[in-house]
Amino acid sequence: MLDTPIRRPVRLAATGITVIALAASLAACSPAASGPAGGDPVSGGTLVFASNTDTDCLDPHQSAADVAALYARPILDSLVSLTDDGQVHPWLADSWEVSDDGLVYTFTLRDGVTFSNGEVFDAAAVKANFDHIVAPETASALAAGYIAPYVGSTVIDDSTVSVEFSEPFSAFLPSAATAYFGMQAPTTLEQDPAELCKVIVGTGPFISEGGYTAQQGISYVRNDDYDWAPETAEHSGAAYLDELQITIVPEDSVRLGSLSSGEVDAIASLPPVNVATVKSDSALYVDSAPAPGGNYNYYPNTESGVFSDIAVREAFREGIDFDTIVESVYFGEFAPANSPIAPNTAYYNEGQESAYAYDAEAAAAKLDAAGWIVGDDGVRVKDGERLEIHLPMVAGAREQRDTLAAQIQAAALDLGFDMVIDNVDIGAYVEALGTGEYDLFEISWQRSSPDVLRTLFDSANIPDGGFNTAFSRYSSPVIDDSLSDALATLDTAELTDLYGTAQQEIADQAIVFPQYVFSYILGARSNTQGIAWEPQAFPTFYDAWKSE
Amino acid sequence: MSTSATAEMLVTAPGRKPRGLAQAIMRRVGTAVIVVWGAITASFVALTLMGGDTVQSIAGATVKVTPELREQIIAKYGLDQSLLSQYFTYLGGVLRGDFGTSYSLRRPVLDAVMEQLPNTITLLVSATVFGVVLALAVSILTAHRGPRIHGLFQGLESIGVAVPQFWLGIMLITVFSFGLRLFPSTGANGPIALVLPTIALGLPVAATLSQVLRDSLEKTLDEPFIVTVRARGAGEFVVRVGHALRHSLVSAITLVGWLSGALISGAVIVEQVFSRPGIGRMVFSAVVNRDMPVVLGVVVIAAIFYVVVNTIIDLLYPVIDPRLRS
Repeated sequence: MLDTPIRRPVRLAATGITVIALAASLAACSPAASGPAGGDPVSGGTLVFASNTDTDCLDPHQSAADVAALYARPILDSLVSLTDDGQVHPWLADSWEVSDDGLVYTFTLRDGVTFSNGEVFDAAAVKANFDHIVAPETASALAAGYIAPYVGSTVIDDSTVSVEFSEPFSAFLPSAATAYFGMQAPTTLEQDPAELCKVIVGTGPFISEGGYTAQQGISYVRNDDYDWAPETAEHSGAAYLDELQITIVPEDSVRLGSLSSGEVDAIASLPPVNVATVKSDSALYVDSAPAPGGNYNYYPNTESGVFSDIAVREAFREGIDFDTIVESVYFGEFAPANSPIAPNTAYYNEGQESAYAYDAEAAAAKLDAAGWIVGDDGVRVKDGERLEIHLPMVAGAREQRDTLAAQIQAAALDLGFDMVIDNVDIGAYVEALGTGEYDLFEISWQRSSPDVLRTLFDSANIPDGGFNTAFSRYSSPVIDDSLSDALATLDTAELTDLYGTAQQEIADQAIVFPQYVFSYILGARSNTQGIAWEPQAFPTFYDAWKSE
Repeated sequence: MSTSATAEMLVTAPGRKPRGLAQAIMRRVGTAVIVVWGAITASFVALTLMGGDTVQSIAGATVKVTPELREQIIAKYGLDQSLLSQYFTYLGGVLRGDFGTSYSLRRPVLDAVMEQLPNTITLLVSATVFGVVLALAVSILTAHRGPRIHGLFQGLESIGVAVPQFWLGIMLITVFSFGLRLFPSTGANGPIALVLPTIALGLPVAATLSQVLRDSLEKTLDEPFIVTVRARGAGEFVVRVGHALRHSLVSAITLVGWLSGALISGAVIVEQVFSRPGIGRMVFSAVVNRDMPVVLGVVVIAAIFYVVVNTIIDLLYPVIDPRLRS
């Protein structure tokens, strides 16, 4: 998931590795904090969930919004599911085989699965779905890009289908586990794509006949015939809830108030500043899941300007106490980041964390040695040039990112950097990225696959005019080669080695200044229980139930 | 004020004898068309001047645009045409009721707007009614009622005019939704969900209107003809509602025309605070996403609304004030 720096439907890239168990995140709460009421699950009732953003389109084959996956997941099942150890489990596919050359994935499908409109889920349905994702008229903003080497699918018999790629593609199965690759009823896929933005039909535990209404949300009823939950779920059979309603409430304070007053049962995106308030209320509890993938990072422009010198990059990384600043701005709710990717991303390399330690004296010494001498106004100067750096930021940044930037600005000045924050709109922000007119670029890019490293650091992704994702604009054969080799293997030891090498090289070259690990923070009423998490850290409701 | 000047012109066209209402209406409608055309042109130019890569905006700000995708988008949206030809294509479309296709919603702008418009219209109408009724009641009850009442209400009105709608909305929600639990804080389900947004949007209107209306009422009450009315034995109610009010309405009605514009902009904020579906919230996210067709579509519809309201008001003057009839 990339989160753009403003409150808008968030672009999201997702291949799942990590499911954060509910129990684990509850254990992270302080002992005094309240939690779900407990007891045995009971069927019945309506759960109302207040989300913070609209989606542009309900169909996750088309949309790139993270909320599209959230709103579609109750309706759509995937071929496979994932657990937090990175293991892929059966779901609508009973089993699968990968050809020796890594090009062909053959799935054996589960018997007896039907779509809620009565259609049978079979090999032809799987083919129809993959073909729909890559069809030009679908104009997929995300899913198609995540199976870019897709060649085609072949129906072998009713319950066997093979999917072929033009090159080995180890990121496929984690992608297939996400809602972006949710299976939809084949006849509905023949409609105009705009129709699917409103109503989609799947095999999932919930059905929504009315579909999604912009700015209002979506209501679902239970699919009583549902009997094919993944083994990773807490129960099997139909969902507990009679009804599920998702409403859209953009204002943080109103969302929180409607939770406290009982108007809704659970809310999305609880601001860190309000976490303590919710925890202190015995009728409410907080649950959170750190999002895997790219952290909220500052990326130096290594192509031009002062950060083309590695000594200046190292000095900026060492000379500012990012960890302390993050702790103070986010009340400890977001963990300080010491790596470009979140620790719960598969093949995370812990060894490179030490490169991000704080040492102000060493930083000052490096700048002195590089010829940057402190001037009269505290800003360093070299050959008459001031040590000035520009950070474009979109006004109204989410998660108080503007507050964070202001604190970093102050710390940078102590070090001798004149850090200028340029307030721009989203268009100008992307334009600056395309033309390279920045010294620092700030963005987060959540995705639950280590392949996110290729997105963020492969030199093929250096922005050239328009939007692209290698924000540091750095070319390194070490990084490029190890990341492309990683796509061609499924061997765990090799993957550990290849992704580890890339992360170490990124640390050695000082091409990223990590800020914080984004966590999805959810608030809920104590009688609302069993809410679980998707791989890319958003809530799911199949296991959810209400006591009383 | 220009509107009342137009009103006089409308009734007594300079240089020749007025030919009646039909001609006046025709002239007024002609002006209205020019205003709407001006609004379309101005917003088209403004959005063009905003710059940025339109193809990137259409694809989504953070989607990588491949050369193939770029070509596809350019062909689909006719971006290879000159700006002037794009402008005329758009204008021609508007005349046929085709406002183009939203970049981010992937559907015709008119469909998207029409889906949300009823919600906004409901809010605007209820806020206007609420504001006008409250202002009338307050001004009639408080005009010339001694310095204490005068001071108290003037103070309240100043607060009402100055208070930001955003803050007012949050306060109303906090007290009446979360505290007393009388009204829902969000959504548009039924009349009960309309109460708080109506107050948040209508209260500043009421405050502005009642300031003007009381001032004008007090002046009227000092007029000699009021003494005559009283001398004939009319009661206070008859004096105020039956005689003074009508005299005072012209200035207030002129203000309602201006307030209709203020209401539309207020709706953007109120819809956001109360999570109410409507075109205000729609245009807010369209601006953020640089969704030009939606921004243009909403501007045109808002301009039409504004022009229609003001035209009706201009035509109302002679009805209210016989002195403005020839």
